[in-house]
Amino acid sequence: MKLGIRPLLAGLVLAAAGSTSSFAQDKLLIGAPLPVTGALSPEGTKLKQGYELWQDQVNAAGGIKVGDQQLKVELRYYDYQSATPRAIQLAEKLITDDKVNFLFSPFGSGATKATSAVAEKYGVPMIASSASSVEVFDQGYKNLFGVYTDNSTFSEPIAELVKTKLPDAKRVAILARNDLYPLSLANEFEKSAKKRGLEVVFFEKYAIGTLDHASALTQLRATNPDWIIVTGYINDLITVRKQAADLRISGSVFTLINGPAYQEWIDAVGPLAENVTTASWFHPVVKYQSDDVFGSSAKFVELFKQKYGSEPDFTQASGAAVGVVLQLAIERAGSTDHDKVRTELQKGGFKTFFGPISFAPSGIANSYVPPVLQIQNGKVEVVVPQEIATSEFRTAPQN
Amino acid sequence: MLWLQVFVNGLAVGGLYACIAVGFSLVWGVLSVINILHGSLIVLGGYLAFFAHQQWGINPLLFAPVAGAVLFVLGAGVQGLVINHVMARPFLITLLLTFGLNLFLDNSMLALFSADYRKVLLDPPLGVFDLGAIVVPADRIYATVIGLILIGLLALLLRTTQLGRAIIAVRMDRDAAALLGIDVRRTYAIAFGLGAFMAGCAGALLSVIFPISPVASAGYLGKAFVICVLGGLGSIPGAVLGGFALGIIESFGALFLGPEHAMTLAFLLLILLLAVRPSGLLGKRGFA
Repeated sequence: MKLGIRPLLAGLVLAAAGSTSSFAQDKLLIGAPLPVTGALSPEGTKLKQGYELWQDQVNAAGGIKVGDQQLKVELRYYDYQSATPRAIQLAEKLITDDKVNFLFSPFGSGATKATSAVAEKYGVPMIASSASSVEVFDQGYKNLFGVYTDNSTFSEPIAELVKTKLPDAKRVAILARNDLYPLSLANEFEKSAKKRGLEVVFFEKYAIGTLDHASALTQLRATNPDWIIVTGYINDLITVRKQAADLRISGSVFTLINGPAYQEWIDAVGPLAENVTTASWFHPVVKYQSDDVFGSSAKFVELFKQKYGSEPDFTQASGAAVGVVLQLAIERAGSTDHDKVRTELQKGGFKTFFGPISFAPSGIANSYVPPVLQIQNGKVEVVVPQEIATSEFRTAPQN
Repeated sequence: MLWLQVFVNGLAVGGLYACIAVGFSLVWGVLSVINILHGSLIVLGGYLAFFAHQQWGINPLLFAPVAGAVLFVLGAGVQGLVINHVMARPFLITLLLTFGLNLFLDNSMLALFSADYRKVLLDPPLGVFDLGAIVVPADRIYATVIGLILIGLLALLLRTTQLGRAIIAVRMDRDAAALLGIDVRRTYAIAFGLGAFMAGCAGALLSVIFPISPVASAGYLGKAFVICVLGGLGSIPGAVLGGFALGIIESFGALFLGPEHAMTLAFLLLILLLAVRPSGLLGKRGFA
């Protein structure tokens, strides 16, 4: 019997098409560029823990419901080595080579903003875990959705707290890391302080990678502030807190963001953590009931502890939050079609363990109040909002 | 008074910078190897001190020579077993090799110790020296003094012992030293080991001051590089002078130009110095 090459080829093509379609039908592929190595690797590791906890729960429950189908979740990671240009390349690779269905953002405002242009170009919805600066969301993009509320939701309640609890506090000093998110946050604090009649007596920036802050803090001390605000990341804020104590800087309120909400920060500065105020978008004490795969904030915290042996911080929680938001949107759309899922994301109204999530037209979450935190007796306590407060705000000087 | 405090801040960080740079300068001067691994060795020294403090309560300032000794063995081993094979090759090959070793060590530490920032917390803390209008953190003073003592011992070893003379002889002329019966490969291994010793000591001393993380290595390497060029390549007194100079320049740079541009003034002066005196403040011609 003579077999022509054409039927054989046709068969192969059919077989390949068959396997592709079954491949496409039984799982949902999500691309996640992560800073596994480099300066942001602590945060990259935390995000990954959040993603994987969500993935475990979804897949254990059979997968994401899309119409009458159940799709298992597969996450595809690439390490962008904490380098934003690499994150952009990898996001493009995930979309064009790996053909992912959706994207999770890289870490932080800067890399998210850069990568969102790629997601927009290909029309792939991207859920941002860790971007809160308005500058990320002011590009008119339709495919970017962030679960963090904007930076003013940190500065406003803390400024209000200072104003009401310390009516004599007048002088504010701000030291900001010259980086997209920390600088944007510092600008919001300046606005919130000025709005309440406080005088900003010091506003300086420090360069990324600054090892020693003594000179900046010496100048800050000379302005004799009542309220000191320093923005940056965990390594900056460990050094700043210690050097502020070395220089005997004493303000009535010491606000450091982001760092003190992490247990590593508290461990690294020890007693100097006392009474430092900070804020974060999530804390294990929040009590939301949810429609997501976790069921409630408490259940999420419990499962996280089971898997990783520690309480989740806001970065770990945000990793799981992007997962549940995407899942709820897909399930509501009953489809993985980008347009349908995007429409559901725009509608919002997701009840998640992280908080009620809806997005402003710009794509940034605008539907919940993040807790203001203070370190008391070595523990993170919630001082605002009142409904979930675990302790009273303290104003004693710390040095 | 602000100026005086800023000057003292510069001195206090300058002593630490000197500790960071000396080992790097020695390896560059003797082996003509730009040791990209240096920053990672400092971080490893920091971890050794951190775990010694956590497990046995040993003060990292006293543990510094032990951390240095461990790294000496590691450094001499790496030079003897790996780098010696490419010493005769062009300069870029050794640079590339130490770059690869740096990636390997950084990622090994990332896997072993995680990326979390740690810090040694002394209980009770060492406090500050309060001199009225100015304050100086005690830990920086102790770390600088111990660092300078160790640097002094290293300089003494190079000047007065037969081993030291051999290292200097190899630095001056490798072939002539070999003709005189000096085992050049062994001398290289010991010199690299001494560079690693100083890195280990610096890491332990810094562990009470700065947070420890594998990702901190690039920052230390950058500082070491600038200090060596500023002070003069291959010169131990040059590295010390360069360290103090960078500390003070950065400190006043932050005061005059704002903290954002602390390094700007340092780099401007560095460019000026390279134009006027390319061998650095105390460098000798021929080591560049």
